[in-house]
Amino acid sequence: MKLYQVVIKDVMRRKRRVLYAALGVVIGTATVVGILTVALAGQARIYNQMEKYGPNLAVVPAISNLDMKLGDMSLGTLSVGENYISEEKLPEIRKIADGEIREALKIEDEGNIAIIAPKLYINTKVDGMSVMVVGVEPEEEIKIKTWWKIREGKFIEGKGQALVGAMAAEILKLKVGDNIPLNGANVAVAGILEETGSNDDYQIFVPIETLQRAFGRDGLVSSVDIRALCNACPVEIIANGINQNIPGVRAVAVKQIAAAEMGMMEKMSKFMLALAGITLAVGLFGVVNTMMTSVHERIKDIGIMRAVGASRSQIVKVFIYEAIIIGIIGGIIGYVVGTLLAHAVGPLIFEGTTVAYVPQYLPLALFLAIVVAITATVYPAFRATRIKVADSFRSL
Amino acid sequence: MLEIREISKIYGEGAAKVVALNKVSLQIEKGSFVSVMGPSGSGKSTFLNIIGGLDRPTNGEVVLEGNRIDDLDENDLVDIRRGKIAYVFQQYHLLPSLTALENVLLPLVFCGASIQENKALEILEKVGLGKRIGHKPSQLSGGEQQRVSIARALVGAPSLILADEPTGNMDRRTGREIMRLFDQLHKEGHGIIMVTHDPEIAGFAQEMIVLQDGQIADRISQKKGGKK
Repeated sequence: MKLYQVVIKDVMRRKRRVLYAALGVVIGTATVVGILTVALAGQARIYNQMEKYGPNLAVVPAISNLDMKLGDMSLGTLSVGENYISEEKLPEIRKIADGEIREALKIEDEGNIAIIAPKLYINTKVDGMSVMVVGVEPEEEIKIKTWWKIREGKFIEGKGQALVGAMAAEILKLKVGDNIPLNGANVAVAGILEETGSNDDYQIFVPIETLQRAFGRDGLVSSVDIRALCNACPVEIIANGINQNIPGVRAVAVKQIAAAEMGMMEKMSKFMLALAGITLAVGLFGVVNTMMTSVHERIKDIGIMRAVGASRSQIVKVFIYEAIIIGIIGGIIGYVVGTLLAHAVGPLIFEGTTVAYVPQYLPLALFLAIVVAITATVYPAFRATRIKVADSFRSL
Repeated sequence: MLEIREISKIYGEGAAKVVALNKVSLQIEKGSFVSVMGPSGSGKSTFLNIIGGLDRPTNGEVVLEGNRIDDLDENDLVDIRRGKIAYVFQQYHLLPSLTALENVLLPLVFCGASIQENKALEILEKVGLGKRIGHKPSQLSGGEQQRVSIARALVGAPSLILADEPTGNMDRRTGREIMRLFDQLHKEGHGIIMVTHDPEIAGFAQEMIVLQDGQIADRISQKKGGKK
């Protein structure tokens, strides 16, 4: 028989009291687990949004604007570099992007991973009105603009077809089947997009080859959008790789609105965790209270232990062991309650989010609960050691 | 040998001052069986607690086997409880969550000695509880509980057993049985100091000390263990 076994037997006899003490631990632990679980679900949802909305990287021609000055007099700016990227650089860009992703995710797969969507922007006049015509690779573009919805007609299926933004269609009075003259070439309107609230609404999208030929820009693109397809993908590293290895282009990791949202989320999480900390502290006082009662109820038992040879430190051990048991019980219940709470509350905060239970939080919950229980027991245990054997029996 | 030199114990101060013991001096030979008699409030429990280091005297010295124990610090007192002195209480004071055997093993758990179940079983057999070792205190009669508490006192092989009204909660017949057990332990060489208010029970001891108003009123030597 060991001392901890004595404690376990004693705890078994006082189940209700021990559960009551554990309740104080449960409240704090459940709050922490609940908040963390909800926050994690929220983050997953924001990541999802990032995945859905737009490119992670934009590659543009490296143009530098030099300010020309003579003394204090400005002579305007001079643009240095080209306005276009050669299509020949696309395979190189793909190689770097795919290579970095493979390395980051440790995958062997040989196929294309990143979505590489080149674009050619031409500002031209249609019916006497200035409009931006965008040459795109239709299959790639639709993978980046996952939010596009066709209001009328259908998506671009081949050369000589156009997809018209909602506002552009309205202003130019274009309908499905209409012809748009583009510098001598003709494209037919295949479909009209629903309003997106972005620049896309004012633009006309045509296959990039059609536009290159019509305006004599063969083999040239204005920019390349890259989507890395995953949250963990190292966009900054890809951007660096492109900048270092491909001359004449500049790659920029696109900071998403979602990133700002993420920052907000983190602030909220911190605030909530601070609240959880307070709950934990309140729970701690609850446990102190219960443990003090427990000490009081067990004055006689403590006296007995002292009379048969227990030292003060052994009495402290008795209470610490009890605290660990309380911590384990409270931690497990706290984890379960917190997870259930997150399931109930999570969807109210982040609509349509399913909250997953997070097994990694169980050890965290146990750790927190045991720390709280032991902390709460220090003073009551100290009080227990001050009990005099003679007094403990006299008081009965 | 146990030597008590002019011990006093005073509770409270001023008007509420109570003198429980007033300059009591006494010598008790090693291995003797002594009973301490006296009416309620005569200071007999206080006397026993001070001898055993459960309480400190206000004045005076307690010397056990040549060493003062009245001024020991906590750790040294723990050592004394772990080997030299053991207690038997009126209320038995067993841990309710443990079985008879586990209660007997408890002192060994605290002193960190190897847990010798055989020894504990042997002692339980000796006190007549060999068949009740797995019972909890609530399942045992008063006499049986007291036998467990005596077994618990014996497991550490103490030189002195202090018993505070060991038969106080028992009927006459059971009380006599417990006293026969004490008598046997005395013959095996254990020193026993027992507080009681029952003259018949006190009669089992070799010597009877009568306390009155915190002082020794009488000291009666009885030949050969008294009546059986």
